[in-house]
Amino acid sequence: MAKIVLEGVGKLFKGKSSAAVRDLDLEVEDGEFVVMVGPSGCGKTTTLRMIAGFETPSEGVIRIGGKPMNSVLPKDRNLAMVFQSYALFPHMTVAKNLAFGMKARHEPKATISREIETIAGMLGIDSLLDRKPAELSGGERQRVALGRALLRRPQAFLLDEPLSNLDAALRVQMRLEIKRIHAQFPVTTVYVTHDQVEAMTMADRIALMNLGRLQQMDTPERIYDHPANTFVASFIGTPKINLFAGSVLRDGGIPRVRFLDCSSSVNGSAGKVLESIDRSAVTVGFRPEEIRLAPEGGGRLPSVQCVVEMVEPLGPETNVVARAGEQLFVCKTAARSGLAPGDAVAVEFDTSQMKLFDSESGDCLD
Amino acid sequence: MTTIELSQLTEQDRKHKASEQASEPLRRRTRRQRLFLDAVLALVGVAFILPLLWLLDAAFNQNASQAMSWPSLTLSNFHSAVAAGAGGAIKNSLYLAVVSTIIATFVSILAAYALSRRRVPLKGLLLIGIIFLTGLPITLLLIPIYVMYVHLGWDNSPFYTSVALAATSVPFAIWLLKNFIDQVPREFEEAAAIEGSGNIRILWKVVIPLALPGICVAAILTFINSWGAFLLPLVIDANPQNTPGALGIYEFMSANGRVEFGPLAAYAILFSIPVIVLYLISTRWLHGGFAFAGGVKG
Repeated sequence: MAKIVLEGVGKLFKGKSSAAVRDLDLEVEDGEFVVMVGPSGCGKTTTLRMIAGFETPSEGVIRIGGKPMNSVLPKDRNLAMVFQSYALFPHMTVAKNLAFGMKARHEPKATISREIETIAGMLGIDSLLDRKPAELSGGERQRVALGRALLRRPQAFLLDEPLSNLDAALRVQMRLEIKRIHAQFPVTTVYVTHDQVEAMTMADRIALMNLGRLQQMDTPERIYDHPANTFVASFIGTPKINLFAGSVLRDGGIPRVRFLDCSSSVNGSAGKVLESIDRSAVTVGFRPEEIRLAPEGGGRLPSVQCVVEMVEPLGPETNVVARAGEQLFVCKTAARSGLAPGDAVAVEFDTSQMKLFDSESGDCLD
Repeated sequence: MTTIELSQLTEQDRKHKASEQASEPLRRRTRRQRLFLDAVLALVGVAFILPLLWLLDAAFNQNASQAMSWPSLTLSNFHSAVAAGAGGAIKNSLYLAVVSTIIATFVSILAAYALSRRRVPLKGLLLIGIIFLTGLPITLLLIPIYVMYVHLGWDNSPFYTSVALAATSVPFAIWLLKNFIDQVPREFEEAAAIEGSGNIRILWKVVIPLALPGICVAAILTFINSWGAFLLPLVIDANPQNTPGALGIYEFMSANGRVEFGPLAAYAILFSIPVIVLYLISTRWLHGGFAFAGGVKG
């Protein structure tokens, strides 16, 4: 069990003009389940491989358990890794795959068979021990890969998109399985995925990356409620957050922000920031659930008239894509809204949840 | 079709009919071409089969000659061949081939693995050099090797002859094995490494089993190359006790002043048996195909 610390870590591959990872400062506490998430090419897999030792950082230090690991070989780092493609040795049976690591570490035969029995039973793969990987289904292979990692008894687990090759139903099941295993064996875990739903449901903390840089590292709730910039706000949350161009109105007193066809006062810390900086343009963000159909006769919240473009019934609720002027946005309504494309409706914005971002840098103004 | 009928068809039907009419003569043409090709191939096949048929005929024929004749069956030719030393020569060839294959395969696997997986200075140049060496004719090497061997006192030794034979096969084996190992997904080695395996264990337990088809091909080619070795043993090993098969046949041809076709054919067949057996075994083995299925997705 160990704490993983990355200090100023960067990686520039030979022949590439831009770094895959830059200036990364990241800490994974002992026993914590951290999910590194981001779009393809953001550097999350490169970071994982640097922690594992398959890539050497171009700059910075990686510490595991307090010890610097930059020049330590993967085999000496006492880590376990589950690869996206499972990497089960195809010429060995499941039992031999599971035993591989323990044999490499010269553990006694009795221990090896005992451990395999326990883990195989726990993962439900004990009937598969004599089969070869080619005879297993995707889910079974994944469980064997997990079993092999567990048998390593490592100081940290590294998982590289382990669920991306599974179908949707199996993915949900395996998400629960992995969390259950983590509850039973609370080993420091770094989990890489491009799926923000996996990140939100599994992580103690999420590390969101883009273009090689860490955008925000926080609990799922905080990342959702307080995104550090427009990228984070857009990446986490489905449907995506709605971002509008806003202009700041100052006429003494509390600053107001005008977006679409309405305006709102900006209270709280965002308001204080607006007072102190000299900006006239901001980006205003509302999540779909923060935009609702305005009640009859209007309400106290700012509202706009819009036209329904598309209705997406999801069962428990309905997503409505609406247009106000040139701007398209998504809002949520009750399940059977009775709306149809072409309907004219009024929507209101829950400004208590309004997020303000700098229109140039995208950083949150809070 | 009349103009009226044509115009009554839909656009699609018209296009379909047009393409059919166009391909009709094409199909007829390729059938003719195919028959011609078959005839040519049959002739070539006959040209290859005839000498082999002669060999079989002469070996079992009491009255063997340059011509093919209906055999009066006998095994006496085989007895003559064995009496002339075929058994010993085949044993020597077996020794040379097996030892040189072991040495060449061992050396090539290590070299190919390093070239495939490690950063080697001037790797590109090295690889081009290796490819160049595969085409190097053995006649260029004969004199230098002879001089070197005499200097070292390695001449007249089957073992060191095997070493020289191995060396002639190593460039091709390295090139072949490197390409095979390149295709083994690196993830297997990474998985093995993170499990705590050292390099030798990874090579032995993971890479070699997965590259086994390629290793077999390299080993078989080295074996066959060494089995038929003529010039090298001729030059560097003067001891008649160490004469390998190919050299033995050559000496046998001129042994009695005139060529005895029957025993010669028998000698040749005896000499070919181990290689034919090897071929039969290896096709059964290699039929297993590639072993990556199930290990890596996609």
